[in-house]
Formats: sequence, C-alpha cells, structure tokens
Amino acid sequence: MSDNLRRALLSKIEKADTVVKSDLNLCSTKTSSATSRAMSDDLPTWEDYFQTNEQVSLKKRGFSFNTYFSLPRPEQIPESSENQSVPIFIFHHGAGSSGLSFAPLAQSLTERLDGSCGTYTFDARGHGSTAPLNTEMSETPDYSLKAFVTDFQELLSSFYMDHLQTLPEKLKITFVLVGHSLGGSICTNAFQGIDELLRKKVIGVAMLDIVEEAAILALNTVDSFLNKTPNVFPNYTSAIDWHVQKGLSRLKTSAQITIPSLFYPTASGKVVRKTNLQTFRPFWDTWFQKLSSKFVSLPTSKLLILAGDENLDRELIIGQMQGKFQLVVFHDSGHFIEEDSPIKTAITLIDFWKRNDTQNVVIKTNWTKKDSPVTLH
Amino acid sequence: MEIDNDVAMQDVTEERLDPTLDEDASAELHDGANSSEGPGASGIADHKASKPLQLDAGNIGQLDQWIEHLGKCQVLSEEDVARLCKMAVDVLQFEENVQPVNVPVTICGDVHGQFHDLMELFKIGGPCPDTNYLFMGDYVDRGYYSVETVSYLVAMKVRYPKRITILRGNHESRQITQVYGFYDECLRKYGSANVWKMFTDLFDYFPITALVDNKVFCLHGGLSPMIETVDQVRELNRIQEVPHEGPMCDLLWSDPDDRGGWGISPRGAGFTFGQDISEQFNHTNDLSLIARAHQLVMEGYAWSHQQNVVTIFSAPNYCYRCGNQAAIMEFDENHNRQFLQYDPSMRPGEPTVSRKTPDYFL
Repeated sequence: MSDNLRRALLSKIEKADTVVKSDLNLCSTKTSSATSRAMSDDLPTWEDYFQTNEQVSLKKRGFSFNTYFSLPRPEQIPESSENQSVPIFIFHHGAGSSGLSFAPLAQSLTERLDGSCGTYTFDARGHGSTAPLNTEMSETPDYSLKAFVTDFQELLSSFYMDHLQTLPEKLKITFVLVGHSLGGSICTNAFQGIDELLRKKVIGVAMLDIVEEAAILALNTVDSFLNKTPNVFPNYTSAIDWHVQKGLSRLKTSAQITIPSLFYPTASGKVVRKTNLQTFRPFWDTWFQKLSSKFVSLPTSKLLILAGDENLDRELIIGQMQGKFQLVVFHDSGHFIEEDSPIKTAITLIDFWKRNDTQNVVIKTNWTKKDSPVTLH
Repeated sequence: MEIDNDVAMQDVTEERLDPTLDEDASAELHDGANSSEGPGASGIADHKASKPLQLDAGNIGQLDQWIEHLGKCQVLSEEDVARLCKMAVDVLQFEENVQPVNVPVTICGDVHGQFHDLMELFKIGGPCPDTNYLFMGDYVDRGYYSVETVSYLVAMKVRYPKRITILRGNHESRQITQVYGFYDECLRKYGSANVWKMFTDLFDYFPITALVDNKVFCLHGGLSPMIETVDQVRELNRIQEVPHEGPMCDLLWSDPDDRGGWGISPRGAGFTFGQDISEQFNHTNDLSLIARAHQLVMEGYAWSHQQNVVTIFSAPNYCYRCGNQAAIMEFDENHNRQFLQYDPSMRPGEPTVSRKTPDYFL
C-alpha cells in the first residue's frame, strides 16, 4: 500500500472516529437546526467541516455560545517538524453572519496542513445558534464592540482550558486570530486583553475585507442594503440561491453550509433570518472607531486580505507604506472572502503562520557571522 | 491574474499559490491578462541590439518630441510606447546590476504616478540633463498618472543615458501593478493591456542597485541576508520578474529596523535589518551610506542606523491623502549631502479621492 493511500485511509478512519466522539460531546446541540435540516434537505452539515459542535455557557457573559472546532491530531504531526508550532486558527465572523461562514476555510486549512492544525469558530451573540441565558440578555442585549470583544477573549480562554491544555505537551500551540469584517475589528481590539499566557501564543492577527473608512461609509448607507435583503425565504435552497446570486456568498458549495445557519425553519416550511440587523444599530458607532490605527500599531504580525480593489484608508496606506503589515488582495472575491476564496485564503493564512512562527525560525544568511536567531516581534 | 499581495507570495507547503487558481469556474473572473502572458509577450525585447543604442539626429529629434509631449502630461501612442521601450531595452540591457553613478547626483525615492509632483521635483532639483538624477524605483501605481510618469522617465533615460539612472522598485513588477493601479490605468488609457505588457517587460531590464562614486549604495528596499558584498549583487541574474523570495526580492523589499540583526518583514516579503547589519555592510564594502526608498517618511527623508542608512521618499501627499512632505538628496563632488523638501504641486483639477461605498453589511 502506498503511503498516500495509507494516509488517506487512516484519515478516513480517524474522521469517523472523531465524529463518534464528538457526538458524545454534544450537549444541547443534538437538536440543533443543523442536524434536523440535514435530514430534510440533503445539505452538508457542520460535521463535514469540524470535529465537534459544543454549546459553551458563559454565565458572566449571559450567553450560551454555539462553537465548532477541530483539534490537531498529534499522530499526524511528524517528528521532524518538532521545531514548528501547531497553529490553531481562531475565527470571528462579521455582523449578520455566523460561525459556519468559516467552515470551508477551516476544511481547507485542515486538509492542507494534514490535520496538524486546529480550527475554532463560534456564533457571536445575536447570531446563529448562540442564545441568551437570561431575560436581561434577551431583552436588552449589548452589541457593543466591547461586549463582542470580551466574549471572544473569554471563549478563547475557555477553549484553551477545556480542549487545548490537555493536548500532548510536545505540541507547541500557536494562535492565528482571523476575523471577517466586524470580526476583524473584534480580533484587533481583543488582542491586547487576551489572557497573557494565551496572548504570548498569538503569532498574528488577520483581518478579512475590513477597512475602517469603507466600513463607516457602508454603515451610512446600510438602510438601502437592509431594504434589499429579504428575511424570509420559502426554503433553505432559495435562501442559498439568493445569496449566491447577490454575490453575498459566491461559491455555491460554501453557501450550502454557511447560509442555512443564518436561518431557522418555521412550521410552514419557510425559513426566517435569525439575526435582526436593526437591533445592532445603536452600537454601530462603536464597532470600527480607530480600527485602522489600532490594527497598524498592534504589537504582533498583521495580515489584511481585501476583496475586489485595494481601498485602504489613509492610516492603512501610511502603515502599509511604512511596512507595518502584509496586504493581500483577491480581485475575484466578494466581501465574504472566507466563503468565496477558501483555498486561496487558506494558502495565504498558512504562509502567514509559517513566516511568523518565530519560535524557532532561523533566517538563513551567508554573511560571515553565524546564522542569527530571528528577532522576536 | 487574481491574487496579489503587496507582498510576494511565498511557498506554501508543497505548492506555490497558483495565480490562476480558480475557486469557482462560474465566478466572475477579473479581467486580467490571462493569455499570451508572461515575460517577453510584448515583443519589445525580441530584437535586442548587440551594443548600446547610439543616439543620432533622427532619434534625438524623436525623443525630444516625445519628452515635450509627455511633459504636458499627455500619453504617447501605443506605437510610440513600443518604439520607446525597444530603444530603452537597448540602453538598459547594457547597464549593470550595480550601476556606477558619478557625482554630483540628485537621489530620489518613490514617485508612484504623481506626475505633477515629478515635474515639481525637477523644478526643485534643477532640470535634467543639467542636473544628474538617480531614481530608486516605484514610478508606477497608486497615483493617477503612472503611464505618463514612467513614459517620461524612460524617455529621459534613453535621451540622456549618462545623466539619469532609473532603478527598479518592487512596484516595477507584473504582479504588483495588477493590484495597485498601473495595469488598470493602462487599460483605461489605451483600451488594452499592451502598453502594460511592454512596460512590465521593460522593467525586467532596469538595474536593481547603483553605486555613487563607490561610496553610496543605492537601491529601492534594503539589504539581504544572502548578499554580504556588492560583488554578490553583480552575480545575480536580474533580467526577470521580481521573484517571491531570495536576494533580488530582498533588495527591492527589505526595510531597516530599530531591532538588531535580521528580522521577518511584516510586509510578507524581504527582511528587516538592524544597525549592526548596516554597519557591517558599509564596513565590508567600504561604503559611507546606504540610500534607499520604499518607505513613506513624513518629512520626505529620514536617517536611520546612525546615518548608515537614509530613506528618501519623493511622492508628496502620497495617494493625494497622506499629508507627507517629499524630499530629494543632493550629493556633491565632496560627498556633502543636502536634502531638498517639497510639498505637493498646485495644479488645477486636483484629483479627488473617491471611494466606492461597499454594498454589504459588516
């Protein structure tokens, strides 16, 4: 049997194995809409993309968060790569989206890294299958940037405590924070306040298609967008088709996993959008304030991926022209980069992680001095 | 081509990111240059001469006419660009990787298609050929007149080959110009990518560094961990697209840094180098200074590494919105340095920066 074949078989076996395990892990999510939907509509489910779907109740935050993750498979990590870290990609979606927006990207990363990475995503408050724990949170929810940021920090800590701490010690975990749109702002704002032990493991922050100036412009005209955006569709398939047609999720294979998570089914069979974007309105002005200067001055490695045309604002242009961050532009992608270009995004993120995995990187030089250890950023 | 980065893409696992990677066959493709592509497709270097271009009354008249036309910020015809680029190949192919430059010379940084500011630069620094000029790359992208700017500088180079030196910057690249404006500008002004192909083919011939009176090493970006001596630059094969990594990439991408030693560049390409590195390089090569561009500096120039390195940036109010001054550096026979700073030129019809409103929620 060839090595490739053996690896493929092994990975299939492991996958089956982990799915069983994750079923055991399931709590309230056993009845999640994702599962019931799959039976009716023949659409992919989270299980095709992640090992585990777990509800995490954070009492202090007042929400039960719907999370999805895959852990690195230690047996997949070759001894020879001892010096390399094992990246855990932590995702945060944008306003009106859901954790599964990153499903295709997470799958692409896991495939490309042969399982020697982790992925973690969740539905933010007010989104997807994340639900308030008390009436205060359901009646007067706080959708300020600070609220999202604190949720993110605490979920990261809880994920680490519950699932990463117990990984074999030889795995040197590093984090790459990846946020789309509002999620990019959340990752940028969250970095400094992350528990110190964990912050030291963060090797970079990546923002997907978010520029402060453009975001504020978009908020000014958001009513016309909301007016054009139906909240009810006859069924999941038509919801998917509409989003693909409008370019809100250009790849049908991505839309099939990401769009249904934005809707709940009604008795009549219609599907209704879960998130009411209007409820966020009072908090919009908090979301992107000073984002560009905060991003440029983050004391970690930074990657900005933009869709369409480069549209940096002044702060970002200066930062870029001073060499403060890495900019990548995907011309052919729509706003939802992680859904439209999961493969290219995965390749770019892996490159970003490798380049900035400073723990043991030695820059090769032929200068007369010996190889110098890399400067820690 | 649909991917870029202001950074060269690096190898990823076993594979390089394929620029033609198509995530979805039905997705709308960027109207990129997808076919009959690649270096040399423009044909400008198909019939290279075996010795440098000789100027005679005929081509001098032609060049002077082009320069006058371009000086009014008017583009040449596509046919004339082809003729100009062919002549330029026969000048630039004979220049060295480390092009020797005599003193006095005025050293300039990024211009980025800000044509009117380039005219201002020549007013401040004195007209060429009366003043010798050395430009350290980044003529195109971001500004609205990349075509006029690069056409003008190339025409001047061909007309006065000993009076003006034009190095290659990281933006003189097929990949980068498709993201930052030069490609789109060529399409807009000529209706096809032909002119873009000619210029990007020509960029491959630009020298990558210059040595002023054997004492000042000039280049666009900075040092490379694989280049310890100026002689090692001479050994490179520069006639190619700017590579994604390696010494030629580093020379066009690296930045000086406050931290010592070599560092990973936040740009995603090239490296950062500390004062110890600059001192060692200058000592090893008996240099007094490394002059480079590549980074926006608010005063137009900035010293670093205790005057072992100077950064020069010659695009005032970069992108028509950054509010920075520009500068050039005069370097005289006695190796005195003098900086001339300037602000954006006043001109009618100042382009306003219009931004398309995104059509999505956040």
